[in-house]
Amino acid sequence: MNQTSPLGSPSPAPELRRQAIALESVVKRYETGGETVEALSGVDLTVQTGEFVSIVGPSGSGKSTMLNLLGLLDTPTRGTVRLRGRDVTELSDRERTRARKASIGFVFQDFHLLETLTAMENVTMPTMFDRDRDATDRAIELLSRVGLADRTDHTPNELSGGQKQRVAIARSLINEPEIVLADEPTGNLDRDTGATILEEFRHICDGGVSVIAVTHDELVSEYADRTIELIDGVISRDK
Amino acid sequence: MAVRNLGRNRIRTALAALGVLIGVFAIASLGIFGNVLALSADAELGGIGDQVIVTPNEDTGTNSLTVRDVDAIARATGGDGSAVALRTDNALISASGGQTLGQVYGTDTPGILFTAAAGTIPDRHRQGAIVGAAVADELNLDVGSAIEVAGARYRVIAILESEEQISPVSPNNAVVLPESAIGGRTYDQVVVQADSGAAATAIADRIRTQLNAREERVSVFELSSLLATIDEFFSLLNRFLLGIAGISLVVAGVSIFNVMLMSTNERKQEIGVLRAVGVHKADVLRVLLAEAALLGVVGGFFGAVLAGLAAIGLVFISPIGFDVVFVASNGLYLLGAFAFGVLICLISGAYPAYKAATLRPVEALRG
Ligand SMILES: Nc1ncnc2c1ncn2[C@@H]1O[C@H](COP(=O)(O)OP(=O)(O)OP(=O)(O)O)[C@@H](O)[C@H]1O
Ligand SMILES: [Mg+2]
Repeated sequence: MNQTSPLGSPSPAPELRRQAIALESVVKRYETGGETVEALSGVDLTVQTGEFVSIVGPSGSGKSTMLNLLGLLDTPTRGTVRLRGRDVTELSDRERTRARKASIGFVFQDFHLLETLTAMENVTMPTMFDRDRDATDRAIELLSRVGLADRTDHTPNELSGGQKQRVAIARSLINEPEIVLADEPTGNLDRDTGATILEEFRHICDGGVSVIAVTHDELVSEYADRTIELIDGVISRDK
Repeated sequence: MAVRNLGRNRIRTALAALGVLIGVFAIASLGIFGNVLALSADAELGGIGDQVIVTPNEDTGTNSLTVRDVDAIARATGGDGSAVALRTDNALISASGGQTLGQVYGTDTPGILFTAAAGTIPDRHRQGAIVGAAVADELNLDVGSAIEVAGARYRVIAILESEEQISPVSPNNAVVLPESAIGGRTYDQVVVQADSGAAATAIADRIRTQLNAREERVSVFELSSLLATIDEFFSLLNRFLLGIAGISLVVAGVSIFNVMLMSTNERKQEIGVLRAVGVHKADVLRVLLAEAALLGVVGGFFGAVLAGLAAIGLVFISPIGFDVVFVASNGLYLLGAFAFGVLICLISGAYPAYKAATLRPVEALRG
């Protein structure tokens, strides 16, 4: 804690103001067939605005579980999830969906683009159900930022893996989120392609967006501000 | 979006739409078929429905109807119809064009029962002959021709319309003469032309109670109640046909259910992505239901069109006329079958869609 703000000041401490998302003593248990698996056992994590955090750890250590909680896709068994200081643990599905849409972008290992839509439509897909909003201009800008200005009308099966992942990154940014979550974003890509994707993430962070990436790829740590190692549901290293 | 999703598995989609098509076609065509049957029966039998025929009951020794009987019958109509007393005979009808054996009706008021195709039927029939269509055709008669009936000469004053309907008093093979042309002071039958089928039933009842109070003097013959039974039968038949057709649409519904279940299962991950990027449950549900509805609309539309064509085809391969095919109630069957098809699709699409949309995003994403 640094003590820069004067006592009694109504404004929150600076580190709170810059806080993008945080987990507080989060526990996550799965019940399957009478058996209980504790995937996370008491995790505290604060990610700042514009920070690139990579999460590493052995298989089954709870990385995906943690990312799901950060992405408001799942709720913790115990503990609190804060999005920009706001407790979002107990939100209803509607509110959670709205918060996800407003603040969080997702990039998946196997891209998860919709096969029937063009690159352009995939990027605007999160805005598809918005009335009177045309995200086309922003989509064009994002696609050219990831170097795909000439591929807007291609469908996913006409794109390479790296191109697909860049479409997915453009999609994750369409709603101007504060946080981008990525589960194994380079897992299906070769080393060089992976590097360009990581480069892309670096740019995103420099634009003030936090990126949290789960990875087995040591390369990621070279680009990340911070690497967190998860073992058996607890954070064993944070640097 | 819904269109493109359906386009992804074309064969499966086509089969599901085909199922709906067949179901809607079955409902619409069987419904129309039954309806056309009932309508054409009505058209054929309609004429006898509002007539009451009163004849003397020979079992009780009554051989003819007296003027008093005729008056009593006229009173019994009570303003719901008009009674026409007829003398009937068979006679040789001859003209320059040949000769034929035909029915002869003697009445002073033929205008109530018959309509002229040529010439005019006078209010009171005093002289001349009114000739049925078949007789006129056979003997080559026109208005003004001379004919001889049972030895007496008459001038043709009118030729009747050819009567298509089944009717107890069929004029086609008859000549209608003034009452006095047939000898005697009694009548062979009284035909009551009632204003409606219900009026005919009521009049028949009144005649029975008033004329047959002491003994069964007269036989009263009316088909309006029989007609009601026939109508009932046809509506039963129609419901039965619709029931069978409905089953086929339900079968189509099961196949839609299966299609939707399979396609939502396959697309679980995709739905998970939609949910992850902030698409609300309700919107996912809407897309999936739109797909089901689209199947219903496309299948139903073509089913209804085919059924409409089949109904038109019926006109060409059967003696059924356009007039009973192009009626509002048939259009209603087309529309109803179409709506029912869409409804079935929505119902059977609802559960898979609901299931997929309410899946927790994490589970959906895991696939
Ligand atoms: N839905 C679930 N139901 C039951 N157990 C689960 C579920 N999801 C995860 N687990 C369990 O929780 C633990 C953590 O899983 P998680 O997917 O978070 O691991 P991970 O670190 O992402 O592994 P990997 O590197 O292989 O992707 C595992 O033991 C897993 O079996
Ligand atoms: Mg994982």
